[in-house]
Amino acid sequence: MKNRDKGSYFASLALSVLLAFAIGAVILAVAGFNPVQAYAAMVDGAFSNVRHVGDFLEYAMVLCICGLACVLGSRVGIFNVGGEGQLLLGAIAACQVGVVMNGQSKWLVLPCAALAAMAVGGFYALIPGVLKVKVKVNEVITTIMLNTIAASFCQFLAKGPWKNPNRNMVAATGQLDPQYWFTTLIPSSNLSTAILIAAVMAFLTWYIMQKTAVGFEMKLTGQNPRFAFFSGIKTDKIVILCMLISGAMCGLVGMFRVYGVEHLYRSSISNQYYFEGLTVAMIARYDPVTVILLSFFFAILKIGAQGMELSAGVPNQIYLIIQTVIIFFMAAENGIFTSVQAGAQRKKARAALARKEEQSHG
Amino acid sequence: MRDTAVKFEHISMAFPGVLANDDVSLEIQRGEVFALVGENGAGKSTLMNILYGINTPTDGRVFIQGREVERFDPKTAIGLGVGMVHQHFMLVPSFTVAQNIVMSREPRRARFLFDNAKAEALTQALVEEYGLVVDPSAPVEELGVGLQQRVEILKTLFRGAEILILDEPTAVLTPQETDELFAVIRRVVKERSMTVIIITHKLYEVMAISDRVGVMRKGRLVGVKNTSEVDEKQLASMMVGRPVLYDQLQKTGSPGEELIRVDDLVVRDNRGLKAVNGLSLSVRAGEILGIAAIEGNGQSELLEAITGMRAPESGRITVRGQDVTGRSPGDIRAVGLAHVPEDRLSTGVSRSASVSHNLLTGKHREGRFNAFGFHQRTSTIQRYAQEIYDRFDMRGAGIDATVGDLSGGNMQKVVIAREFSFDTPVLVIAQPTRGVDVGAIEFIHTRIIEKRNQGCAILLCSADLDEVFRLSDRIITIYEGRITGEFTSFSKEEIGFRMTGTRQGEGEST
Repeated sequence: MKNRDKGSYFASLALSVLLAFAIGAVILAVAGFNPVQAYAAMVDGAFSNVRHVGDFLEYAMVLCICGLACVLGSRVGIFNVGGEGQLLLGAIAACQVGVVMNGQSKWLVLPCAALAAMAVGGFYALIPGVLKVKVKVNEVITTIMLNTIAASFCQFLAKGPWKNPNRNMVAATGQLDPQYWFTTLIPSSNLSTAILIAAVMAFLTWYIMQKTAVGFEMKLTGQNPRFAFFSGIKTDKIVILCMLISGAMCGLVGMFRVYGVEHLYRSSISNQYYFEGLTVAMIARYDPVTVILLSFFFAILKIGAQGMELSAGVPNQIYLIIQTVIIFFMAAENGIFTSVQAGAQRKKARAALARKEEQSHG
Repeated sequence: MRDTAVKFEHISMAFPGVLANDDVSLEIQRGEVFALVGENGAGKSTLMNILYGINTPTDGRVFIQGREVERFDPKTAIGLGVGMVHQHFMLVPSFTVAQNIVMSREPRRARFLFDNAKAEALTQALVEEYGLVVDPSAPVEELGVGLQQRVEILKTLFRGAEILILDEPTAVLTPQETDELFAVIRRVVKERSMTVIIITHKLYEVMAISDRVGVMRKGRLVGVKNTSEVDEKQLASMMVGRPVLYDQLQKTGSPGEELIRVDDLVVRDNRGLKAVNGLSLSVRAGEILGIAAIEGNGQSELLEAITGMRAPESGRITVRGQDVTGRSPGDIRAVGLAHVPEDRLSTGVSRSASVSHNLLTGKHREGRFNAFGFHQRTSTIQRYAQEIYDRFDMRGAGIDATVGDLSGGNMQKVVIAREFSFDTPVLVIAQPTRGVDVGAIEFIHTRIIEKRNQGCAILLCSADLDEVFRLSDRIITIYEGRITGEFTSFSKEEIGFRMTGTRQGEGEST
């Protein structure tokens, strides 16, 4: 994005957010809540307690890595909707590694678990990637379908072969020994040392996409695949590579959730978190830095909304309403902005014409 | 005195950021052939789109046959007797000639049913009235381009056109077809006292067909002349605003070793038909081999196969002695070939990337642009891009501009600059100056000849026959995927003849 575009982007983003909150306020008022109190409760919900701060930081990490995984796909022109499945499979694979290797040093178990999560997530993303490149199957359809398969398969494992023998849960795998858990950074919050790894990952993803020759090839491939191919770039390889990394990132998020928060696999590992990350990526127009910034914003909103529900009794669905209204405005913004701009320029041209005529007459 | 067919009064047309027409006043008489010439982006098409009601002018008035145009839309314009034949035909290929002609005004039976017999009868009557011979019951897809154009003209006549606008009508025609078209124009003008406005940038055609000529430059009408009182040189200077010297291009040296060789090549097009059908050719160092062919005769597929953009079905392609049949563009480039593609928008550039990134593409892996082999050196890249930018005289928005915002000429310069900067011994060049203005054409031609004189083997293909004649050392004609003739001394008539399928000599097999 050029600086000028960036300025207008953030201006319209700010406006969209304000409008979304205004619309949210109207809905709250109609539903009989005091909007000011509700929003105050929302801010309170995120910041009043250091535990909540830890929770939103952890959720921001999830949004950010999922969002960046989506950006990576979009960079080469692929819309990876399958991150949810890649995340779940990564989570259950990482978890089972920890269960099976119980007793080994954590310096062996953690890398193995991370590798397993990346391998499984990456492989699962490879399927739609290869299908897309080799036989031109639409990746949106395949990834959505693969999500369902992955979710059901994980549920099957957690209920059946890998079921936790000791706990009376419907579907959960064995629990990790506490020595393998990521260290919690803020007591009784979800925030763990995983966020440090995530920060490094976010930096690397940004760096590769924006600053390296490979990133340059990714960009060209996404912008105009025919031109990239024509220029001698192995576009098929680049696309597959991006899908592989994207899937591996999602798989790692699954591992972070298991080793940082849940300490076993169950379906609450992810509640459509990848889709929320994807939403952030869309609102950020697939710009990596903006994804990182917006992840914090939406994490605060979400955790704040949960706190609001508890303290003010306002259903936290208001968060979803605000989020979707922002998406709506940001999607419409492009068209509105260009038409306003074109109108202004027409006006300017007409004025210039009038001036010129005055000069020639006068 | 003759009546006025069209009158433009102080027409201005402002598009966002550009004044496409700037205070244009012009009268066109009934019964004349008026040529409108100018470089790309000079505003000719905008002016004609206003006449045809596609654009509403920002300022000024238009009179058609004495009546002021109040609503600008094609329906009104057609009602006032204006007909336009676009550069790209708007016909339904699977429909017959008659069905295409009566479309939107179909004769009916029992109110709802299409009356095909009546449509064909109406078309036949039209054909006889104007002497434009074409079979009403033939499906349009089976007709050649020249005949399709005739159908387009008949369609406008059927709708009662008295003022006919032809937008670059000869771009897709052979010399023979052009002659036929001109004969038709002369006939309708003389016998029906129709008015014909022809947009073109081929000056010899202006001389051949028009009564008067208007020259546009940067949105303004810079002059209207009687064709008999000007020559091509004068028109060219008026178009670019300075004298144009068509210097004889200096060709030096003689052909060296063979660098491109194609043996018995068969390539299928997107529909699965054999577009190239057993074709062989060879290009040597220091030689330009020109391909003369009407669009759609396999020349595009041939170049795509040689450059790796399309896999051939059979045959062999050798570049610099290496077999590259079916290899990827990257592999073939590595052997030493650069390629100016025929469609710069879809293939030649990334429109959303900057000029500097477009110039860098293909060299982005080179050591000098990457620290430690992976970190892009932005300042080195910018300096390199600026140097190329200056060397190729790309006046415009600078190296940080988005390529999609450039004019056609500058965009083409980006493509040529990048491909020529690879310094490869083999060049495959398609449509080097399509949609490029006169000034840039000179520049590009000089660069191509420079490459030739440095000893490059160049395979050139262009829809502009004059360009092929001007640059080539040798010309082959291709018709339906096969070579129909090879020439070292060029005669337009003879080559035009071969382009329509007549083989050179008897019993030749290629």
